[in-house]
Parts: sequence; structure tokens; C-alpha cells
Amino acid sequence: MRYWQVGLSLAMALWCTSALPDVASGKAAFEGQGCTGCHYTEGPAREKTIEDQLAKAGPELWYAGSKFNRPWLEAWLTDPKPIRLLKYNSLDEKNAGGHPTLVGADATAVTDFLMSLTTDAVTAGVIKPKSHPKGKLIFKKKMPCSGCHQYEDRKKVSGGLSGPSLVGAGARLNPDWIYAYLSNPTVFKPVRMMPVFAGLMSPKDMEFVSAYVASFKGE
Amino acid sequence: MVRVFMLFFALSLVTDAIASDSETTYKFYCAQCHGVNGDGTGPNVTADFATDPRNFTKKEDMAKLSDADIRSVILDGGPALSKSALMPPWSKTLTSEEVDGLVQVLRGFCNCQGAP
Repeated sequence: MRYWQVGLSLAMALWCTSALPDVASGKAAFEGQGCTGCHYTEGPAREKTIEDQLAKAGPELWYAGSKFNRPWLEAWLTDPKPIRLLKYNSLDEKNAGGHPTLVGADATAVTDFLMSLTTDAVTAGVIKPKSHPKGKLIFKKKMPCSGCHQYEDRKKVSGGLSGPSLVGAGARLNPDWIYAYLSNPTVFKPVRMMPVFAGLMSPKDMEFVSAYVASFKGE
Repeated sequence: MVRVFMLFFALSLVTDAIASDSETTYKFYCAQCHGVNGDGTGPNVTADFATDPRNFTKKEDMAKLSDADIRSVILDGGPALSKSALMPPWSKTLTSEEVDGLVQVLRGFCNCQGAP
């Protein structure tokens, strides 16, 4: 083998290795930064009572890799802006922001770690983002989604404050996770302020509304 | 006599515990729209909220509703009484006992009995 071939092989091997997810480093950085003080990362869901849910300081992340879109997650960790208008688990305190920021390699490694946390409860490839009129009708009129979630329609932001904002949800959330969260919510959150719609909405309607939410653009 | 007293004491503890659980249930699920004090001013009621959530402290309005009406709206949502779909259906979320407890919490807010 010629020298240039050896060199090329080594360079490619180095490039491939550097592109591999660094889950172990990410987990160490996650723990080192104190993230476990507010987020747990090992499933299944632990909450059994309202008190269990209210005792949490932040959302569970044991299915983060099935919930979030990677580019959004990495960008958010480096510049975290509030997703909830109200402080987590509060009805009267505004979310003042201040989530810890990660920089550089830590942000990438923690993203690698969080994206490795997946669940079989989410089936890939079911939902394609689409601003379908039926999805819009369900979201805005037929079901109470807008009562608790902010969203943007024709450049106007409206909706309630108690749930996470859905402005820009298409960048943040995996469309298939939205559907799974609607159709099988107790796997993810056995106790939550949002009603269970499984059994009240048809699977098709859940597909429509999931595709609609996944189409939300914005910041 | 002592036994009768003990029985009433035990029953009052159970009643208090149920009431406390129901208040927790109310604050967790209902207060986001109806307000912690039941006056219809929860944090979701922003300027563009499409309806006025029921103010449970209005005795004259609440007295017109039967307990069965209230149960029906909690379980099946606002449309069950031709009201807004912003009131969600909770039938797949709450147990029958929890709904009974919520009816009592709401009656506590209005300090009124329901229509027969």
C-alpha cells in the first residue's frame, strides 16, 4: 500500500471516529453540570401521584431522543430560551429563563447523550408535518389544545400559558413523538395537567393534529 | 360514648383527607383555567381566550346547575352542555371518585346546592 493510501485511510478513520456520538462523555457532562438535579434520564416514568409530578423541578428526559429533533436540541442547549411561559409546575410564577447554558463540546456531547435516550413507545415514520385544514380545525376548534398551548397562526401568537409553547414546535419535536404522546400518554407522563385524549379522539384525528403541530414554524 | 366519639373522629379524618385530595386535584387540573380560587381567572385566560371559564364563586349561576350537569361537563367537556370546547373532556383522565370530589370542591366555592 502506498503512503498516500495509508494516510488517507488514517484520516478517514479519524474523521469517522470524531463524528461518532460521544454518549459516555455526554452523560458525564450531564451529570457534572448538575442536570440530574432537575431531570431524570432513566425510564420508565416514575410519577404515580400529583405530588410526585409537583415534586419535579424539570421535565423527565428519559425519552429525549424520541421526543426532540437533534439540531434544535443542540442549538437550544447553547442558547436556552423558555419553552414554557410559566415556571415548571407553577400557575402563577412566570418563567424567568436562566436555564444553564452549555458551550462547545459539552453541548454536542450532552446532545449525543440525550439523543441516545429513546423509547419503543414511539414508532418512526408515521407522521409527516403538514398544515392540514383538518388538523387545524381539531387544534383550534374541536379540541381544547389552544386553551393551554401558545401557537402561531398567520404571524399572530395566541393561546394559553399553562402548557409548553408550541410556537416553533416543528423544529423542536419529533412528529412521531407528538402522535405517541397523544395516543399513549401515560407511558411518558402518567400524571400530567393535560387531559388524556386517547379513546376520545380517533387515531386518524390524532394523526391530523400531530401533523399540524409538527408543521408549526417560528422561533 | 367514647367509641361513638372515636368513630366520628375517624370519619372526620377520612372526610378531611378526601377533601384535601380533591383540592389538590382541582388545583392540578382545573385551576389552570378556572383559577386557584375558582373565580375563572386561571393563567390560561389571556386576552384572546375565546370564552370566559365558569366562575364557580357566582352562586346564582352555580345554583342553576345540578351536580349531574357539573359531572357531565367535567367528564365530556363543555360541548356536553352546549358550552365551549375549550373545556376539555376529563373522562379518560379522572376517576369517578375524583369527579365526585371536584363537584364538592365547586360547591364549596359557590357555597350553594345544585338544582335538583
